[in-house]
Amino acid sequence: MNRRAFLRTTGVALGAVALAGLPVRAQGLEGEDLANLEKALQAVLGKGFKDLTPSNVIKLTVPAIAESGANVPAEVEVNLPSNQVKAIHLFADKNPTPHLVAFMPMKALPYYATRVRLAETSAVRAVVETVDGKFLLASASTRVTVGGCG
Amino acid sequence: MAIRTIVRLTPAKPKAGENFKLQVVAQHPNEPGTRRDAEGKIIPAKYINQVEVYFEGEKVAEAKPGPSTSANPLYGFMFKAEKAGTFTVKLKDTDGDTGEGTAKLELA
Repeated sequence: MNRRAFLRTTGVALGAVALAGLPVRAQGLEGEDLANLEKALQAVLGKGFKDLTPSNVIKLTVPAIAESGANVPAEVEVNLPSNQVKAIHLFADKNPTPHLVAFMPMKALPYYATRVRLAETSAVRAVVETVDGKFLLASASTRVTVGGCG
Repeated sequence: MAIRTIVRLTPAKPKAGENFKLQVVAQHPNEPGTRRDAEGKIIPAKYINQVEVYFEGEKVAEAKPGPSTSANPLYGFMFKAEKAGTFTVKLKDTDGDTGEGTAKLELA
């Protein structure tokens, strides 16, 4: 299969998943490691994975395939008014340190873009902490050919 | 050692009320502390763990990146253009090294 056809089919497949609103609990994402993630969630937020509500107001953009895990672009956009978002966190399930970043928007719009390291093929989570104490979740998955942490 | 920091606005001259991106690029190895050198010794961790954005002296955004950030990292923020002024971005890493970059916001 050539690259063009591959991109098209994966794009269609991902679009179908998004449309079906599948990203709920235990979505069977590639590179999930809930045990490792749970530890990081408890340490950073004091919450477990079950306390997070999957939500479609968060748009998390990561590449489906990354050639090098040393440099993976990640982008989060939250479709909520700026003053309702307290913090945006990014997690990668399989990383030795799953917590990638905490971002406090303050006067900025709830948007954050960065480049991260992924140790191996991993699920990436965006967790949004709202002012009224809710935790919203969006997940995606990146397949990594060469890891960036070791 | 100061961290080289470049700050850029896209679009360079937004209209009032328009959203624009503020992108920060730093020259930094961002060692996570898990990698090994050629002799198998662990390279000690040294990464940027604080990014602060100030607009006209007022803190408007803050990020606390962990060790899993790429080398020569990029940090992107989005703001709504209201009035002209100067953005100052301050970086700090785990060794206490700092970097500072500025960008002027002019309205079209």
